Amino acid sequence: MIRTLSILALFLCTMAAAHAGSFAGTSGGASSAGSSASSGSTSGDDKVVLAARDDAAAFVASDGRIHGARLEAALRHLRATDPGAGDASDLQLARAILAR
Amino acid sequence: MARAAHAGCLAALLAWALPASAALRIEVESAGLSPTELDASRTLAMAALDLLPPAFRARLDQRVHLAWRDDLGTGVHGRARGDRIALDRALLAGWIAGSRDPDAAADHRPALAALLHELAHVYDRAHGHALSRDPRLLDLAGWPVRPLRLGLRTRRNDFHDRSPDRYELASPREFVAVNLEHFLLDPGYACRRPALHRHFAALFGGSPAAGSCAGPGLAFVAAGEGGEALRLLALEPGRVQSVEYLLAEANARPMSRWGHGMLRLVVCAPGRPRGHDCRFDLEHHLVLSFRAFVDDVQVSSWRGLTGAYPSRLFVLPLGQVVDEYTKVELRGLRSIPLRLDEAEVGSLLERAAQVHWSYDGRYRFVDNNCAVEAWTLLQAGVPRLARAQLRSITPNGLLRRLERAGIADPSVLDDAAVAVRDGYRFDSQERHFQAMLDVARADLPLPAREARTWLAMDPVARAPWLAQGNLRATAAFLLLEQAAVRREQAAIREALKQRFLRAGRRDEALVAAGAALHALLGDGALAGRPALLLPAAGYGLPQADEQGLLAEAVAVEDRRLQGLHASLQAEARRAVAPSRQARLDAAEANLAHLGTRLRVMAQGGDDDAAAPY
Repeated sequence: MIRTLSILALFLCTMAAAHAGSFAGTSGGASSAGSSASSGSTSGDDKVVLAARDDAAAFVASDGRIHGARLEAALRHLRATDPGAGDASDLQLARAILAR
Repeated sequence: MARAAHAGCLAALLAWALPASAALRIEVESAGLSPTELDASRTLAMAALDLLPPAFRARLDQRVHLAWRDDLGTGVHGRARGDRIALDRALLAGWIAGSRDPDAAADHRPALAALLHELAHVYDRAHGHALSRDPRLLDLAGWPVRPLRLGLRTRRNDFHDRSPDRYELASPREFVAVNLEHFLLDPGYACRRPALHRHFAALFGGSPAAGSCAGPGLAFVAAGEGGEALRLLALEPGRVQSVEYLLAEANARPMSRWGHGMLRLVVCAPGRPRGHDCRFDLEHHLVLSFRAFVDDVQVSSWRGLTGAYPSRLFVLPLGQVVDEYTKVELRGLRSIPLRLDEAEVGSLLERAAQVHWSYDGRYRFVDNNCAVEAWTLLQAGVPRLARAQLRSITPNGLLRRLERAGIADPSVLDDAAVAVRDGYRFDSQERHFQAMLDVARADLPLPAREARTWLAMDPVARAPWLAQGNLRATAAFLLLEQAAVRREQAAIREALKQRFLRAGRRDEALVAAGAALHALLGDGALAGRPALLLPAAGYGLPQADEQGLLAEAVAVEDRRLQGLHASLQAEARRAVAPSRQARLDAAEANLAHLGTRLRVMAQGGDDDAAAPY
């Protein structure tokens, strides 16, 4: 569902407003297909972590050089809500995010 | 207290004024009136004087004559010339009926409203149009200062939607008269047009009692996330930590040359106290973006220059905007906090809501683009900014001026890594493509040295490599393959667009898609006019009695729009050339495999950092 919708949304985006983007097209690319395979329903907590998947991949691939805001949000969230996450390094947590 | 008519006056003119202490006196012309009518006219005059703020009466130190006429013309309720007010005689009958019968109380109001309206004109004129020339009033009303015009204001008011009375748009003078009517008569005015209410209350040192307003949140109809098309938000200004100028940087496309300027709202998660931590409640952050709403497939520069496209305020989740720019358009974003205090943030948001519900402007590439609109919103929302010299017609020019005026704080970008981590910068993904490929090349002898070449390869040829890398390479591949999928999607889009433009209505495969597309593009809700979702009765910000209706309307629209999306997508799919579709399918399959592989590898132990904490 998400995959097919995003194609349409992208199609619309250019069609609707080439310079400014469009309302209809704004979901374009929002669904990173690599992250959609896990579960259908996402709680508010999972959302923060799922949204950080691309950032976590960039962090792991760059060995910590690329540290985006979505990853930071997820790291803070995990450390605040998951007792086991307190002592883990950023890299360990980024891997944990990729493992979800 | 009734006074005897001046000896020199005709007997037909019975002078009468109330209350005696007030400077303003209203005298009813009695010619042709029955005793009942004369009596009712006096009651009306007294009611109007009672409603006027004392400062209004004191500052209008004169006698005003009130006469009833039946030759004012269709639809004209009243007219004021000098110190003489003429009202449509038909209103008198309604006033009398309304006074007698509580069921006809609704008939009561037009006569009173008409009299107050004309008194407002008399006041305005007597004070050299101080009310209708007040710069603050003009900002709030919707006649903003235009750039490139030496401080001149627009001649048209584009706040068409949810107006209490479209006559207010005719001129600033009528705007003042209509709004004073509502200020004085409508207990809901303070909630529906809070900034104007405060403006008038401050001018006259008080206001009639106001009703209670809908909840603490401002209603916005925002773009939905995921499969959702629309969503109703109740934005609580108290939860907004900061407002930032969000600039989308230019990319290679000529239309993007000056960037795109937006406002980002850093909204704290429910329950979190305002503070720096709110920066990381990204899923609650919103973007206010003025966009040209282009209801056609091809953007015409001529129409863009001449104002043929509507310019409207859209409310979008931050995540969507970040993805759209950094992943789809491959443009970077800068988010620069504006130095505003809590009260200023509140009034800015209230103004944004007013614009969202009422504004339907014309986009002009040169003098009414997103930067001009953003500047106009800022100065109407925060009066202090109206005094700063900010006018600029380009988005990056506006940012420079905000910085020079000390309103925007660019120091947040000084440390590049911190700026990215804390969301003051969102890099274009393109910036990292080569680094990602280099990570994979360190692990595998890939057939491409440059990211560009790698992404242009047939996805089927990439597939074997994707199954081999170590954890870092696989993570890098994931990001690259996402970019590859977007490239394939963009190619399909472009091909369909070109075909649509060339063959248009003659191409049978595209007829249905074209119809669905136009249905979507012509859709009011999607087009940034939430007012179309509500019945025409209310005005200004939606109130408690409208919020239920609104929630229902948004849900219905959301379902309908999702249906339209789905049918457009199905039609578009049918029209895609099989070879292109095959490439896209292959890239998506690569991505799915990578997703699974990365998940397994991150769980497993291929190196020291293996065990999830």
